[in-house]
Amino acid sequence: MTDVYKLFFDYIGAYFILYMIGYASFLFLSVTVGSSILYQLKRRNWLKNELQGQYYVPVTIIIPAYNEEVTIEDSIRSLLALEYKLYEIIIVDDGSSDHTAEVICKAFHMQEIKRPIQRKIPCQPEKAVYESYDWKVPITLICKQNGGKADALNMGVNAAKYPYFICMDADSVLQHDSLEKIVRPVLEESNVVAVGGAVRPCNGTKIENGRVVSYHLPDKIIPCMQVLEYDRSFLAARILFDRFNGSIIISGAFGLFKKNIVIDAGGYDASTMGEDMELVVKLHVFCREHNIPYRICYATDAICWTQAPEKLSDLCKQRRRWHIGLFQSMMLHRRMLINPKYGLVGMISYLYFLIYELLSPYIEIFGIFSIVLAFLVDLINVPFMILFFFIYVIYSAVLSLTAFFARIHTIDLKLTIKDVLKAIGLCVVEVSCLRLILAWVRATALIGYHKRKTVWGNIERKKITFK
Amino acid sequence: MKIEVMLYIYGAVCISMIVFNIIYNLLLQHREPLLKRRYRKMKNQIAFQLQNIENNGKITENHLHFLAKKLRRINGLIVFYRVISEMKKEPINCFDLYLNQIQPVVLYLAVEYLDKENLQAGYFTYFLSQCKTRRYRPMDSLQDILLKYLEKDNLYCRCNALQALYDFGNEDHVIAALQLQDDGKVFIHEKILTEGLLSFTGDHEALIQKLWIAFSSFSVHTQQGILNYIRFQSGNYPVQMFSIMQNETMDKELRLSAIRYFGKYYYAPALEPLLHFVQDNDPDHWEYATVAASALSLYGQEKVIEVLKDALCSGNWYIRYAAAQSLTAHHVEYSDLKDILLGNDRYAREMITYHLESTKLQHAEV
Repeated sequence: MTDVYKLFFDYIGAYFILYMIGYASFLFLSVTVGSSILYQLKRRNWLKNELQGQYYVPVTIIIPAYNEEVTIEDSIRSLLALEYKLYEIIIVDDGSSDHTAEVICKAFHMQEIKRPIQRKIPCQPEKAVYESYDWKVPITLICKQNGGKADALNMGVNAAKYPYFICMDADSVLQHDSLEKIVRPVLEESNVVAVGGAVRPCNGTKIENGRVVSYHLPDKIIPCMQVLEYDRSFLAARILFDRFNGSIIISGAFGLFKKNIVIDAGGYDASTMGEDMELVVKLHVFCREHNIPYRICYATDAICWTQAPEKLSDLCKQRRRWHIGLFQSMMLHRRMLINPKYGLVGMISYLYFLIYELLSPYIEIFGIFSIVLAFLVDLINVPFMILFFFIYVIYSAVLSLTAFFARIHTIDLKLTIKDVLKAIGLCVVEVSCLRLILAWVRATALIGYHKRKTVWGNIERKKITFK
Repeated sequence: MKIEVMLYIYGAVCISMIVFNIIYNLLLQHREPLLKRRYRKMKNQIAFQLQNIENNGKITENHLHFLAKKLRRINGLIVFYRVISEMKKEPINCFDLYLNQIQPVVLYLAVEYLDKENLQAGYFTYFLSQCKTRRYRPMDSLQDILLKYLEKDNLYCRCNALQALYDFGNEDHVIAALQLQDDGKVFIHEKILTEGLLSFTGDHEALIQKLWIAFSSFSVHTQQGILNYIRFQSGNYPVQMFSIMQNETMDKELRLSAIRYFGKYYYAPALEPLLHFVQDNDPDHWEYATVAASALSLYGQEKVIEVLKDALCSGNWYIRYAAAQSLTAHHVEYSDLKDILLGNDRYAREMITYHLESTKLQHAEV
């Protein structure tokens, strides 16, 4: 029997060595490449290698809202304070059960109007449309029947008047120059169909008129660890994949899209929870299958501040939703997997997301059970296990810190000693504890997902202190 | 490879990354004070030379050598740019004279930076594009060198070089520059071309005349930028635009740009073709019909109103939208639109009602 166990654990050991080497190498590569690109960009800006004039590409900002009465007014006010000149704001109230629409109508003097909206992409019908021309840019509020976030976004795309649109969350705030920065890739490269912005947790940050006036790591542990996690994943899945036009995620909190190509591709998929990822994957598939030259890129300096969940329960809800979205997107486009027709997107990006994002929680949980089992049958070298775990924590923590400091230094933010010590301490906790908790949450996310697959996430909102 | 070796390598690189971060941070903290010290030194040097100009009418030879030596390095150029940007804000009498007298150094630097890496070359062209004191004064040799910067595979270098040439105000050099950037190696968006041309400091009419002569030598992409520039700059070219609009062999975007020209400047002979575009029911020609319907907002004839009312019933949403927009721009009354408002075409009715209400709302709130 012991021989059988030994053989079993030998295979498991070999598998995990390959798995860990693959992940470590990827993380290593992404952080080194990502950091060096951030530093290069910093040097490029220092030497004024950027477009000097003010070139305005007309943009529609779409905010899908569901029960956002607490944050929506401040979000719109923050959008009105942007330095950009040529844009419109469309808020799509997806059948809220609170007073979202009333708050908007009252705050922005909206008038009801009979506006015809062309259904280029199918979506639930509108109940009422309101407009206001009383502000710097036109504001439109569309109240529609509930159909989910993707459905609300589709309504916004249908109503958009401009050739590019930006999707963003109702609880997010754009930095003063973020619109200018996110349209830059459109001017700098031909065939750009989508641009992702950098999403940063705003907890602990004081923002006035879209400018950061003081930056600190959040006081609470959960959002603080998310800051470190965001930076690491930003360098990994964003900057590195961007090098070979392989990005398959643009956050729903802040992304710019070319309207006609999104419409031709069929818009957001209302049957998925991860509509943001699904759309980007769909754009890859659509452009490659129709031989349309295209580019999906990242604007690392276009910043959107968003509220990171402060409670563990809210964080778990968010990650469960993301994991279901990831599963749905990957299943919908499974034909991309190692398919040369889709180039490096299918060969690298899809494979990475499959192994190290979608399957990773199951692999990690399986690894822990294997360790427990090996311990029970006395087939594990405990001191080596502890040493290996220690190496893993140090390695991951160093990479997280590198990503974090690279981001902080390249955007000229100043940290206090307290923040530095907090970052060092919490990145160890993040890789050793939070990661395991979230692995469990993600591993169990798909249980009963059919019931929840199109419902809006219900995370506790706090009022944004926008001045 | 043994796993331990790999772990050591990764560990070593991780530690070096942390060390790099710390050193970089220290350098960043150190850089600004260093530049400030150099700034003060440079400012004193320039102030001394300004004094010399006031006394003797010229700067010293040593100063030219000093500048040539210091500005060859990128940090020196950055500091110099900061100093002169600051000094330009102050009312200093002989500052222009100073800039004139250092032109040999600028010329020398132009040759030096041409061989440097793209980012530094990009900064040099930025420096030139921002130092606008020499506008209207031809300095052919510098402009000739600037043209060489347009051959570099760096978008920003090209854009800054173009900007510097626009500031010199010489039409021939601008046309040569536009032809050079049109080599297909670096994409420059037509908006950048249009905005740049609009910032040209010389004689726009002379530039446009020469652009028309060289028009066929440009790619469609650049031609589009040029046509947009002409549309924003001058209403004196309806004949050329008319011929582009009517030329069916021309690229669609160019023809659309020509149609937009007649939406900005009234030209009686363009009316019939515009009406024809709107009345064209070929579904493949909907873009022409849409843009022409928008352009007709400038043409107040009764026939125009009738054609726009017909276009309101088009099967194409965009044509209906543009027609409704033009009709409201003509300030048509409800009574003039009775047939539509009481008619059976729901789409036409909804579209015109929306535009009438929306216009009212805009006027009430502006």
